[in-house]
Amino acid sequence: MAQVAVRLEDVHVDYPVQAGATRKILYGIDLEIESGEFVSIVGQTGCGKSTLLRLILAEEKPTSGRVLVGGRERSQPDRYCGYVPQRYSLFPDKTVLNNVTFGPEVTGLNGFSRLTPEGRKRLREYREDAMRYLRHTGLMDADARKYPHQLSGGMQQRVAIAQALIMKPPVLLMDEAFSALDPGTRAGMQRLIHELWRESGTTIVFVTHNTREAVCLGTRIIALAKEESGEQGSSVALDLSVPHANFDSDEEEIRRLIGEVEAATLPRSASGDACSQSVAVHAGSSD
Amino acid sequence: MNLLRIHAQPGRAATWTLSWFLFAAGVALYFYTTQQRHRENPDDRVTPSVSQMVQAFKDAVSKPSEEVQADDTSASQPLWERIRTSMLWTDSVATGRRFLISVALLFPAVLLGLQMAMFPYIGAFFLRFCLFFDKIVALSLLPILFIAFGIDELSKIMLIVIGVAPTIILDTYNLSKSVPSEQIVKGFTLGADDQAITYRIVLPQIMPRILNGIRLQLKTVMCFLFAGEMIASTDGLAYRIALLRRHMGMDTILPYVLWVALLLFLVDLGMNVLNRKLHPWFQEA
Repeated sequence: MAQVAVRLEDVHVDYPVQAGATRKILYGIDLEIESGEFVSIVGQTGCGKSTLLRLILAEEKPTSGRVLVGGRERSQPDRYCGYVPQRYSLFPDKTVLNNVTFGPEVTGLNGFSRLTPEGRKRLREYREDAMRYLRHTGLMDADARKYPHQLSGGMQQRVAIAQALIMKPPVLLMDEAFSALDPGTRAGMQRLIHELWRESGTTIVFVTHNTREAVCLGTRIIALAKEESGEQGSSVALDLSVPHANFDSDEEEIRRLIGEVEAATLPRSASGDACSQSVAVHAGSSD
Repeated sequence: MNLLRIHAQPGRAATWTLSWFLFAAGVALYFYTTQQRHRENPDDRVTPSVSQMVQAFKDAVSKPSEEVQADDTSASQPLWERIRTSMLWTDSVATGRRFLISVALLFPAVLLGLQMAMFPYIGAFFLRFCLFFDKIVALSLLPILFIAFGIDELSKIMLIVIGVAPTIILDTYNLSKSVPSEQIVKGFTLGADDQAITYRIVLPQIMPRILNGIRLQLKTVMCFLFAGEMIASTDGLAYRIALLRRHMGMDTILPYVLWVALLLFLVDLGMNVLNRKLHPWFQEA
């Protein structure tokens, strides 16, 4: 039986808006993510996808309920979860190579130990390791000396992925990581992350508003949807296992899945039905 | 008229000419005024002629001040020795020493602002006090400082620190707070602890902006320093200017004012070059 990497138990998240009043963001989320899964989380804007990710990161605390990552509740983000955000993913003051070696250095070398022969040897190893990861994510050796602002958006995200993966995190969280990229670069990055996931077996939680991306990348899709009145917050509207869907799947099958997922993300009436918008209009229309 | 449109594109020559025009106009106006006044009164001291100023400046860089008892051998001393004991040099060294100590004392303010932004309890402890202190007009504290610390160096340096440190603290605080939260979270997920986040992620990112902030405060530092020197000092550039004012020594005051401006310009330039060298990513970003 596969190990559970992430578990959310009856999680509710409310944000205070005015004196005494709160806005419900997430409502009664129960979720189990097993090790090695590639979970895509989709939903309309403002439905709480990123909040869910921040809960798993332990950057935010639930109003009620429990979030267990690696079997325990965490008080702040740590190296158990790697993180690739949409923006500001790299440290602008460090070169590409130093961005990638930052994690190993900060955890493996302390104080002046980098000045010792042993420290210098380890630093060399970290750099070689980082270069391997950079090459693996499609970057050239010359890029290692560049600063982040000298790279394109796609290259920056490649570095961010290398930076996260070099720490070998059991869980990798990606928050709209490819949203700012042009379609061509985005397609390349999707294939890259899928390949890296297959090789490493890391659990990936991938938040996106792009349904096609979610369907083609994930082995499981979780759709969040709000109640129509917006008073109750979002809950899991669909939890769909799609182990065989990928970019090479039959287009008809992908369209069918997109339609199903998009229907689930529509705001629901109090009775739980999706609101009466045409699913056919949305099916396959994602960018 | 096209010249005053937003999309006007002045050429290289036009830009150069325009940028120097006010300097040239100022110099021309001064010469005209000098000529007029000297025609009426050849001993006029309010607008000294160029030759008077050059002579006064030569004296300032080659002769000791009047307070120093010059011995007979001073004229036969080597040039460097004469410069080293000259009025301008000793005044510049005295002011420069106070200035550098004051600027060095601003760096703990940077660290405090950083800590306040990163650690909420430290922020809660200091922020309100710094906000309040920032509003106090430092010069109004000068009598209190003289009473508390005497009229020696300490009171002048304290004046500068009290006048500028709260601004530097609050500037650093705001800059640290503006570092995107994604960077902090990312640091934690890469295994960094609180100290590593503070000193290896946040501080390096805000350092070039802090240096620029300090550059903007240089003139304020000088203003406080001059106020202290003018009121209670026995040496320094501002002391000399205040002293010469009593004797209507405009022929020395004007070169001194230009000398101070030049020194400040060079410090600013030096800090700018240092900032570019230390943070190449910032200039290009």
